[in-house]
Amino acid sequence: MRAARWLVAIAVLTVLPPLLPSFLVVVMTEIAIVALFATAFNLLMGFGGMVSFGHAAYFALGAYAAAILVKQAGWPMLLGLAAAPFAAAAGALVFGFFIVRLTHTYFAMLSLAFAQIVFTVIFKWKTLTGGDDGLLNVWPPAWLKSPLAYGYFTLAVTGLAILAMHAIVDSPFGYALRAIRENPRRARFIGVNVRRHQLQAFVLSGFFSGLAGGLFAFFNGSVFPDFAYLNKSFEPLVVALLGGVQSFFGPLAGAVGFKILETYIARQWPVYWPLFLGAAVVLVVVALPQGFVGLLQRRAWRTPTAR
Amino acid sequence: MDFVTSLFPWITNGPLIVVQVMSGLSVAMFLFLVSVGMSLIFGVTRIVNLAHGSFYMVGAYLMVTLVETLPEHAVSFWIALVLAPIGVGLLGGVIEVTLLRRIYHREPLLQLILTFGLILVIGTLVLLVWGPDNKSVARPDALAGSLKILGQPFPLYYLLVLGLAPVVAIGLWLTFYRTRWGMLIRAATVDREMLGALGVDVATLYTQVFMFGSWLAGLGGALSAPTVAVALGMDGDVLTTAFVVVVIGGLGSFAGSFISALLVGELQSFGILVFPAVSIVLLFAIMAVVLIVRPWGLLGRPEE
Amino acid sequence: MRPWSRSTFAIVVGSVLLGVMPALDQAGAQPKPIKIGEINSYSGVATPYTFPYKEGMALATKEINDAGGVLGRPLEFIHRDDKLKPDEAVKAARELVLQDKVDFLAGCISSGVGLAISAYAKDAKVLYFATHCQTSRLTWDDGHRYVAHTTNNVNQYVRVAAKKAASLPIKKWANISPDYEYGHNMWEEFSTYLKKLKPEVEFVQLNWPKLGESDHSSYITALLQSGAEGLFSSVWGSQSIAFVKQARPFGLFEKMRYVAPSVGNPDELDPLGKEAPVGAIATPFAWYDPGLNKLHPNLAAWSKKYTEWAKEKGLKDPSPKLGGSWGYASAYIIAEAIKRAKSTDPEKVIGALGEGFEMDFPWGKVVMRGCDQQALPPQWIGVVKMDAQGKPVAAEIEEVQGKDVVRSCDEVKELRAAAAAKQKK
Repeated sequence: MRAARWLVAIAVLTVLPPLLPSFLVVVMTEIAIVALFATAFNLLMGFGGMVSFGHAAYFALGAYAAAILVKQAGWPMLLGLAAAPFAAAAGALVFGFFIVRLTHTYFAMLSLAFAQIVFTVIFKWKTLTGGDDGLLNVWPPAWLKSPLAYGYFTLAVTGLAILAMHAIVDSPFGYALRAIRENPRRARFIGVNVRRHQLQAFVLSGFFSGLAGGLFAFFNGSVFPDFAYLNKSFEPLVVALLGGVQSFFGPLAGAVGFKILETYIARQWPVYWPLFLGAAVVLVVVALPQGFVGLLQRRAWRTPTAR
Repeated sequence: MDFVTSLFPWITNGPLIVVQVMSGLSVAMFLFLVSVGMSLIFGVTRIVNLAHGSFYMVGAYLMVTLVETLPEHAVSFWIALVLAPIGVGLLGGVIEVTLLRRIYHREPLLQLILTFGLILVIGTLVLLVWGPDNKSVARPDALAGSLKILGQPFPLYYLLVLGLAPVVAIGLWLTFYRTRWGMLIRAATVDREMLGALGVDVATLYTQVFMFGSWLAGLGGALSAPTVAVALGMDGDVLTTAFVVVVIGGLGSFAGSFISALLVGELQSFGILVFPAVSIVLLFAIMAVVLIVRPWGLLGRPEE
Repeated sequence: MRPWSRSTFAIVVGSVLLGVMPALDQAGAQPKPIKIGEINSYSGVATPYTFPYKEGMALATKEINDAGGVLGRPLEFIHRDDKLKPDEAVKAARELVLQDKVDFLAGCISSGVGLAISAYAKDAKVLYFATHCQTSRLTWDDGHRYVAHTTNNVNQYVRVAAKKAASLPIKKWANISPDYEYGHNMWEEFSTYLKKLKPEVEFVQLNWPKLGESDHSSYITALLQSGAEGLFSSVWGSQSIAFVKQARPFGLFEKMRYVAPSVGNPDELDPLGKEAPVGAIATPFAWYDPGLNKLHPNLAAWSKKYTEWAKEKGLKDPSPKLGGSWGYASAYIIAEAIKRAKSTDPEKVIGALGEGFEMDFPWGKVVMRGCDQQALPPQWIGVVKMDAQGKPVAAEIEEVQGKDVVRSCDEVKELRAAAAAKQKK
């Protein structure tokens, strides 16, 4: 039954893009990237109970690694993209080593501090990163450049990445992570190495965030220091929250909803968009703990830690 | 010594050092005023109030409106300086009662996310109410000039801040350690459940503390209005610095905020002379080091 | 049902909406307008500049369309918010080109946004009119066929300021500029031109506060000790107001001559009020100045017309402002380019730029130079003074033609060659 649903989803996503106007293919591509980023983020928040306020750092590390390798070192695009998640994972390993020693608020604070450092270094290191002008013209090669080609490519890559994350969440490692989220002390007593698991989750999350960053660099044809800034760190948080952090696919649904709303509201009423987004966040936090998807998911109300 | 003077030519310039120390001090006192409220709110309610910068901004904008509306008179400035922070305190009260109170029992990070949502909401409302143009408040005439210190001019208005911040600090200390309310607050920072079990109305205490913290943010905003442009975006600038100060000093510790404000203020002041290019990185690097070595900050209390 | 299928449901509903909404957008389309996708920052901190700009553009568009449009078709600007972020701008540009099928792109207030749209335009072969940002790299170092700049660039007004600075009996200059591309670009242009005009000048104490810094007292005390006699500043907007308010009581402006291109504009002078830096040299658009109005007799009527328009549109401060004039001029320049090309084909419009492209505006003549597709409007330099009511204004306005100070076409060629060589390396 489940396999059938997967097949339907794959079939729809394979057939649909050529039927859409090319702008919607672009929107869909962006949704896929945001969904990947938010799902990677939610690996930590939803399953590990760790809320990072600096995930933009890993998105940006991935994006910049890809752009710098392609633009400054002349690597082919696919190699540059392949390097992106590893660069981000390396960063996540170094920062995560310190971050996972802390809990709750302090965890969030330190992750934010590191992201700010990444931002400032990118902003200041002009010769390598282009400073605040960013690096422009990092488009994919001709065969991948059309919105449709890059759309398919992104869907395939994000699809595989999300499947991989789904497998991770369903593995014994994923269950150990949930155990740590529910009660770190008890997890330790039953023999789970809490800190190591948390660090592994952090690095994995950084890895996939970096992949999202790399995909976004070629999607957008450019990278900017903004990618590492606070607002970017809040993006996966808001997306996951709107979609529902308790389910694996919540962030995916959140990304669809968020981007569609953003595309249509921000463009008609730019001034009111932050007001709308802020109010939505407040509403979800106060009244809809399962996110907007939770509204549809009646069952999840009864089992707040579904899946 | 020759090596040192060649590297830092200002090191033998006595007056420069004194004035630089003084300006660092005034920066520090501003920082203390804007950050102590954030620290206080965290200490009691365990909420990192990201909307603190927004409250500061509202304080500054209210100051503009009040100074513009009140009749032109020497005391108008001071009346506005009293009223604007009260307005912000009331706003804080409304937000606490209608929104935050509903989610105290939930995960602490949800509260943080809620205050992030408030940043967006308040930022847009300010744009809609006051319009996009930059605004400003003139210093009161009596404080418009400057004083000579070692032959160097020093603005009188900064002296007001230099004087007022310690008054606030002492006032806070007296409130905390010499009143029953202060005692309750201290008790709440240690063990909320126990305090509730002892029959104290914790919900009301939270509202009061949140209002008080908001009032302090509003005071910071109102007080700084004459030295900056009251403009959109001032919320974010303040938030980042206040945040660094509070984290370094220790969330919840008001003495920590004071010391950390001094540290950050002087660091900025001399950082400009020593490493002009990297002073921003420096701030966050110090914050990261503090968090790694002593996550609860210089004077904070470890979690749990 | 399993929970995630509900998510699937949400996704499907979303996708359907995505498909339906653009169709709704297009319902009821009128005779085919010439569409220009205009991207600028319409939320947040840049709105004091972009709101007047947008109204200037709207006023000009209405006039153009009332007079029959361009090539018999109405002109239509489709505005998008870039949130002051280059990646948002690129996204908006793609949407405008792919979905709205715009004929041209326009917009930008942030230089980073301008350069990013320009890079996209070059790649997509769509002509982009940079209308509101000012970095000279747009049409010079990073210039190409598909970008035209309809307002002055940094080089023009900074050179006017440097020329004035060279005429002052000042040898030691200091700098305070925000630490980002624009700030560095400003100081680079100012210092090199000043040095060229007056080789004996010295530069001391270069300060680079971060963009948006709110407390400058440490920079001010350091400046006071520097022995500088002149201070060049490219801090702008709210940061400039904060800097001036903080520097004044330290007596900084008595100690050194303040040269700050942006400080003469009302968005900074009005909030400063009696604390304005009297005597500062600035490069403002002083539409109210009697001297300027004598030079340009039509200016008063235009100011009145704009003010009424902006008031009707609900702007809290409806006075013209620099942004208003730029939006107005940009719409006319774009219309004129299409008229000259007799086509909306970008290649033909590019061909029409330059070679006698001159337009008269209420504030003077704007020349569009062919070699770099850079507008050369009149530049003004003046001094901050208090008027009879005690309100700060820019006075003693002198007009300089952009074409008399700007880098020559040959110099631009060198800049482009140097940038291309660097790119290859």
